[in-house]
Amino acid sequence: MLDLFSNLALGFQVAASPVNLGLCLIGALVGTLVGVLPGIGTIATVAMLLPITFGLPPVGALIMLAGIYYGAQYGGSTTSILVNIPGEAGSVVTALDGFQMAKQGRAGPALAIAAIGSFFAGCAATVLIAVLGAPLTKLALAFGPAEYFSLMVLGLIFAVVLAKGSVLKAIAMIVFGLLLSMVGSDIETGASRMTFGIPELADGLGFATVAMGVFGFAEIIRNLDTGAESDRQLVQQKITGLMPTRKDLRDSAPAIARGTVLGSILGILPGGGAVIASFAAYTLEKKISRDPKRFGRGAIEGVAAPESANNAAAQTSFIPLLTLGIPPNAVMALMVGAMTIHGIVPGPQVMQKQPELVWGMIASMWIGNLMLLIINLPLVGIWVRLLRVPYRLLFPAIVVFCAIGIYSVNNAPMDVVLAGVFGLVGYWLVKHDFEPAPLLLGMVLGPLMEENLRRALLISRGDATVFVTRPLSATLLAIAAGLLILAVLPSLRRKRDEVFVESES
Amino acid sequence: MNLFVRLLRLGRFTLAAGAALLTPALAADYPTRTITMIVPFAAGGPTDVIARIVAQHMSTTLGQAIVIENVVGAGGTTATTRAARATPDGYTLITGHMGTHAAAVPLYPKLAYHPTKDFEPVSLLAGTPILILARSDFPAKDLREFVTYVKASGDKLNQAHAGVGSVSHVSCQLLKSVLDIKPTGVPFNGTGPAMNALVGKQVDFMCDQIVNAVPQINGGTIKAYAIATPDRNASQPDLPTTTEGGLPAFKAQAWNAIFAPKGTPAPIVATLNAAAVKALDDPGVRKRLLDLGSVIPEPAERTPEALGKLVEAEIAKWTPVLRDAAAN
Amino acid sequence: MTDAPSRLSEKSVFPKWIRGPQDFIGGLALVAVGAFALWASSDLQGMQGFSFGAGTAPRIFAVLLLVLGAVLAITAVLVDGEPMAKFHWRGPLFVSLAILCFAVSIRPLGLIVSAFASFLIAALGTPETRWKETIIVATALTTACSLLFPYALGLPIPLYPSFLIR
Repeated sequence: MLDLFSNLALGFQVAASPVNLGLCLIGALVGTLVGVLPGIGTIATVAMLLPITFGLPPVGALIMLAGIYYGAQYGGSTTSILVNIPGEAGSVVTALDGFQMAKQGRAGPALAIAAIGSFFAGCAATVLIAVLGAPLTKLALAFGPAEYFSLMVLGLIFAVVLAKGSVLKAIAMIVFGLLLSMVGSDIETGASRMTFGIPELADGLGFATVAMGVFGFAEIIRNLDTGAESDRQLVQQKITGLMPTRKDLRDSAPAIARGTVLGSILGILPGGGAVIASFAAYTLEKKISRDPKRFGRGAIEGVAAPESANNAAAQTSFIPLLTLGIPPNAVMALMVGAMTIHGIVPGPQVMQKQPELVWGMIASMWIGNLMLLIINLPLVGIWVRLLRVPYRLLFPAIVVFCAIGIYSVNNAPMDVVLAGVFGLVGYWLVKHDFEPAPLLLGMVLGPLMEENLRRALLISRGDATVFVTRPLSATLLAIAAGLLILAVLPSLRRKRDEVFVESES
Repeated sequence: MNLFVRLLRLGRFTLAAGAALLTPALAADYPTRTITMIVPFAAGGPTDVIARIVAQHMSTTLGQAIVIENVVGAGGTTATTRAARATPDGYTLITGHMGTHAAAVPLYPKLAYHPTKDFEPVSLLAGTPILILARSDFPAKDLREFVTYVKASGDKLNQAHAGVGSVSHVSCQLLKSVLDIKPTGVPFNGTGPAMNALVGKQVDFMCDQIVNAVPQINGGTIKAYAIATPDRNASQPDLPTTTEGGLPAFKAQAWNAIFAPKGTPAPIVATLNAAAVKALDDPGVRKRLLDLGSVIPEPAERTPEALGKLVEAEIAKWTPVLRDAAAN
Repeated sequence: MTDAPSRLSEKSVFPKWIRGPQDFIGGLALVAVGAFALWASSDLQGMQGFSFGAGTAPRIFAVLLLVLGAVLAITAVLVDGEPMAKFHWRGPLFVSLAILCFAVSIRPLGLIVSAFASFLIAALGTPETRWKETIIVATALTTACSLLFPYALGLPIPLYPSFLIR
């Protein structure tokens, strides 16, 4: 325990130097900006800014890059709530209730609770990294291909549970998403699948491309329908308070706590953990809520829980990097790159050999989260004012911003065209009452699910029982099965009730 | 959809035609604007780090910024195709490696470029030695025991690699063909996840570049049996070479080198080569490359001609190995 | 001629036995997507012993989608459901055109021209547009984007038409 305090003291000493504070602030600001601009993802930004950090001392460079990473998690929720465009896979769920809140004139409280939840989660997760980082690493190592496959199955079940309408349609959308994720090169053989000779499809459909299409462009197109004007004007007139009410805070406090716990645990798992965290947190809230019908219709817990979860996961995803030196996702891989360029080789010994680096980074995360809260709360007023801009001027601007954002991901005009196509697909889906969120989750988890299934079967030599004989995997599958039953039961019961009512009348 | 593709192509064509008309081939003034260096892998990977370290120094020599553009996908062949088709004016270069400029030839039958026919070699930058690695509780004590054990195990062992065409895949194909073993290859999406699986003992062994392996070896989370270079490496001085361990036939090194599109004027190639050679002589650059465990090429190996020969030799070396693997 | 009034107002073109046109068409479309994917992945390798081929997973998902779509369509025949929603052409058309315009022009013409043009084309998507203010906002936005993306964020996006640069 004493060790911990002396380590943290060392960390704060490093992080609180004026230069590092400044770099942390720059990182947080850039991250927020990048998160707010649709399409421009964290990976692209960190990659772009990597060369700039070469001139900085290593600790400073990492503090800034980390700031961009979690800053973008904050910023990503803003577009989800205001214009229904999730910039990252983690903010897809935030859009579900956040955008509904904005429609009801409650964009202010939604944005504020997202910032507060993120701050709390960030602080809690930072402490967790400091205290339990090393032992938690074991969790990441205990996850083999079989466990990952089961986790992905569980993730997909979350998507069913969070659907508002028909379970059948939600499952259909997941499968559609899985199918879309198959486009591109097969990792095992390198064979190109369903690419129709279009070189831009060789690496598959980008998340940003599809998300921007089925959420962003589709939403705009739908808003332009004749008859939708009155809806929009309503939104602009109804804007009420900027800050959450006492009741909002009371409602969201437990959701934030639960989201933080879920996010912290899932964030440690390399690959997909952070995405699943936000879906899991939302599902949990919906399941334990006394009135699950409010979800998808502007429930503040539906914003608080996933936002806390994805921010907590963003923090704890540093654990495998700091304790093992193994990057769990693409952004972390860039961080490793930044370290190697500075001559620091991240590995199991980095905590002993470079304590000022590791603890400085951990302390800076806490400071960065505080900065983000201070930056973001006043911004809420500005963002909400943006909603008062007449839609006839707002929507072309969103179209242009999204187009630039998508183009910038790969510098590929084809991506922009594809996003447009997915906009039309999304419009069609909305008209047929299909929800886009399960589709996106299917798309994100599809490749992970397939890869790990194949890996698990390769390692077990084709024996499919590994999924139930390995305890962790079996537990995850059992939870998935339980959730599915819980999700399907009410709709079956409702049907029975309907039949019952009809026969009575 | 087809129309869109065509419209885009038309746009690109106009762009290229315009550029060709308006660019006077002034090799003497070269370079007068920013140079784009394509790296066919994600930022932060071994190739990227090497490219950035060298490019940074080259840009001070050339007096123009060199922008690194990371274009990922299809084992680096997407980016290499793009570079092959770029205007050969010295403003688009690529840092290729063993995979994109040698192993890709047998691996991708429909490859849209050829390493020797579509590129002008500029300079070899650095080599990264390959190591034979295994999970920390792997029973073998040294390389000889490893060889015996692996041969006796038949197809029972799992060998991790970072995807078809990756260095870890290609180099292990050579090991497999040298030892005549057939372990089950388990592909991962990149070196990070593959290393995670090895540390987590989900798989038995793998071949990988020294950069990725050193921290784990030092941390005791994995075992290293040998380094597949003629000499020992300063960053891992206790690790015997494959020759010392009784397996001289297994020699592999991932190399990184700068290429320009075919048709780039010779004076420009010479300017670029001189800048690269100067970078490789710089003590700061050398130290950073050596810290990574890289092997810096001798002056004689840095000429465009030497690189051209290396590429041909490497294609000849990998083609039978990988063809065999594809047939299995 | 005893259709429900809601159906009459939509001038339903569907025969009476389709009780939920929205899901019926939706289901059929998914069947079509599934069938298309099945065809598109037919050239890929299937299972090889216990190891998956490149085509295994795509075909599994395609068949699943096909089945789910069919179930949805059949349900729509058996159970009452929603009528078809009304599609409009103006929004989709001009927003798509704006996106297409951006994609085609960004490389040869640069950010300034393509952002400005796309903004104006998108603005055609609604009859509410008042041209004077739209042009002012388009100019301001283009300026802001030109400063933000290439300079502040350092993205490699061309600003000016390529024929003007050299």
